[in-house]
Amino acid sequence: MTLMGNEAIAYGLIDANINVVSGYPGTPSSEILTSYKNIAKSKNIDVYAQWATNEKVGFEVAYAASISGVDSAVTMKQVGLNVASDALMSASFIGNKGAFVVIVADDPGFNSSQTEQDTREFARFARVPVLDPATPKEAYEFTKKAKDISKFFETPVILRSVMRVSHSREIVDIKNSEFKKEEGSFQRDIPRWAAVPKEGRLKQAYEQIDRIDKIKEFNLKNLIEPKLKKLKRTKNLIISSGAAYGYVKETLEDLGLDIDILKIDMPYPLPDMSKIIAPYEKVLIIEETYPVIEEEIRSEKVLGKMNGIVHKIDEMDKEKVLKAMKKAGFYEGKNIYKPVFAAPEVEKRKPNLCPGCPHRDIFFAIKKVFRPKKSIYPSDIGCYTLGINQNAIDTVLCMGASVSMAHGFSITNPEKTVVATIGDSTFYHSGVAPLINAVYQKAKFILVVLDNSTVAMTGRQDTPERTNPEVDLKKVISGCGAEVMEYFYEPDINTTIEFFKKVKEKYNKINKPLVVLSRQFCVLDKEKAKENLSGKFAMVDEEKCVACDICTTQFVCPPMAYNEKGKIEIDPLLCVGCGVCISGICPTDAFIRREK
Amino acid sequence: MRYQILIAGYGGQGVVFLVKVLSICAANRNLNFLGTENHGMSQRGGSVSSHIKIGNFHNPLIDYAQADLLIALDKNEALINLPYLKKEGSIIVNADDFLKIDANVFSIDANKLAEDGVFDAKGLNVFMLGIVLEKVKYFPFTIEEIKKAIEDINPKFAKQNFDILEKAIKIAKEKK
Repeated sequence: MTLMGNEAIAYGLIDANINVVSGYPGTPSSEILTSYKNIAKSKNIDVYAQWATNEKVGFEVAYAASISGVDSAVTMKQVGLNVASDALMSASFIGNKGAFVVIVADDPGFNSSQTEQDTREFARFARVPVLDPATPKEAYEFTKKAKDISKFFETPVILRSVMRVSHSREIVDIKNSEFKKEEGSFQRDIPRWAAVPKEGRLKQAYEQIDRIDKIKEFNLKNLIEPKLKKLKRTKNLIISSGAAYGYVKETLEDLGLDIDILKIDMPYPLPDMSKIIAPYEKVLIIEETYPVIEEEIRSEKVLGKMNGIVHKIDEMDKEKVLKAMKKAGFYEGKNIYKPVFAAPEVEKRKPNLCPGCPHRDIFFAIKKVFRPKKSIYPSDIGCYTLGINQNAIDTVLCMGASVSMAHGFSITNPEKTVVATIGDSTFYHSGVAPLINAVYQKAKFILVVLDNSTVAMTGRQDTPERTNPEVDLKKVISGCGAEVMEYFYEPDINTTIEFFKKVKEKYNKINKPLVVLSRQFCVLDKEKAKENLSGKFAMVDEEKCVACDICTTQFVCPPMAYNEKGKIEIDPLLCVGCGVCISGICPTDAFIRREK
Repeated sequence: MRYQILIAGYGGQGVVFLVKVLSICAANRNLNFLGTENHGMSQRGGSVSSHIKIGNFHNPLIDYAQADLLIALDKNEALINLPYLKKEGSIIVNADDFLKIDANVFSIDANKLAEDGVFDAKGLNVFMLGIVLEKVKYFPFTIEEIKKAIEDINPKFAKQNFDILEKAIKIAKEKK
């Protein structure tokens, strides 16, 4: 089958007889859980596959299943592990009964993430083993391996993918093993499952050291030694792991170099490698993104990131590998990756909110009513982060931070109005606790919850309220004690602006957080977009356009651009017919309806 | 055989669909391949480039000066990705004209054709693939293989896509 890496991992989970998978969506990990669910459905297998409200919740749901003896897994992106890390740090002492596989997808190169952190480093920090596949094929195999190791050693095992594995495509042979439905049977063991400081945890800490030593031995005998036989004992050695290995292997082939490469499948815990590297003159370590193997090996022979031979940041490419080999003295020829054709200076297209996206209107209205000079706009993680194109966002930190930072800004900048924006899914994820904090401390700010009832950025997974309306977002907010104003989105900018004027009036009267619950839709949401798009396609009356830049700087809709005549033009192939620009964005009313 | 194709466009143009089509073509013929896609932030109307490497490769990314073929659904995206093209490589680009460079360049203003109603704009990706079939000398797949792959992905829209594909080939034949 030709599979994307994330689909391959999902098949691995099914073939490993994993019964419970939880997680929180995040690029590049999101397709794992959805694919797992779909494969199970197509095979008529009864599994638990559900999105959790956040990664920590997902981790703990699946972890409880695994200590009940059911093989389980949880999926997330690398920054999601920060959220789940509290649970991970503790679970690594306690361990598990059934398998517990923590699948984390990293994003070297910041393609869709706010950090480039290396989950292998996190595994080392938490003292749990980590497997690092290089291709979709390996991702499938390593998923099964992770399950076996986790079950045998009774420890969480991290399967670390990266964007170039998760979102790569390759032919993968699927075994299609028979699936067995597992029922849990929780065995009471208070000293283990409820180990408390100091004695309980200290005992587990000693056990952990012992366990890690055994896994080192396992790594050496089962994963490293079989590969040593194939090495030719060249003068120098390259050590690599995961996706980085693919770059190295190909660069050597492209350059026609014969240098031993040792691929590490489990970068942590590593056994003592001194005997392995002893016969070689120099050892170059090429890994992505942090120097994990390099720090574990620590030898004078080792060349890598720490002595400036290998690049320290950004995604790898073969040119970077070639340059590292040059610096290491492994290669003396020319740079074959030097472009033949130079790219002329053209601006790269920036990501933007989709044409017709209601977020755009809300940002436009917020800026109109709460002027930038007198306001601070904290925001959050999601599609709406792209409100940055409208200069309607001042801060982006991490999931849920808009609420707590709005609180902080309101304390220290009392002369400003703080207007924060957050998506519905991000609010469920980690916006509720800071809202309670703000209410009980009587903070004064405005929080706009952009509710499109989907996790849009990561591929439109369903939110809690959409899946089960018993979760009532409005009640959740008012239950926290905040003032709520609900807005039912209209594709008419004046209606939206009028609403925010009322918000301002209300804000001036009250002394507590004011939450605007803006009920909208996502234009990519097939169920809802059709009925919500008015079909009013736009064009420009060139005589009226005075090139004032309002639309290109304040509204910033992708179809709008200046033409050779210096007038705005609407790309008819991109316009989705929301009609909002016609409703009053332009001060000279240059947007008019296009009859098709 | 080793053949490296870079498909460039921006979010919403169907770049990922083309990678799927080509990867299924390779799989149907039992050729090894590695392909890569963009998701998430990069998909929201921003520049998107997907790579597919057919043959025995170990990593999915194409490096500078390595691509045999650059399929660009947009002129600017073609320019941005020029460094990836190898000497004497081929470019098929959706543009009224293009740079005169030492490569096999064929440009066609597909946006204009879509606006004129020659084909549905949503099928721009498939249209450009039709142009590739007609104009690229050593392109590894035949029209039958492409059609089979499109049908494998979604039989419901296959007929529509076949029409666009054939229209593109006809137009490419007439245009030098």
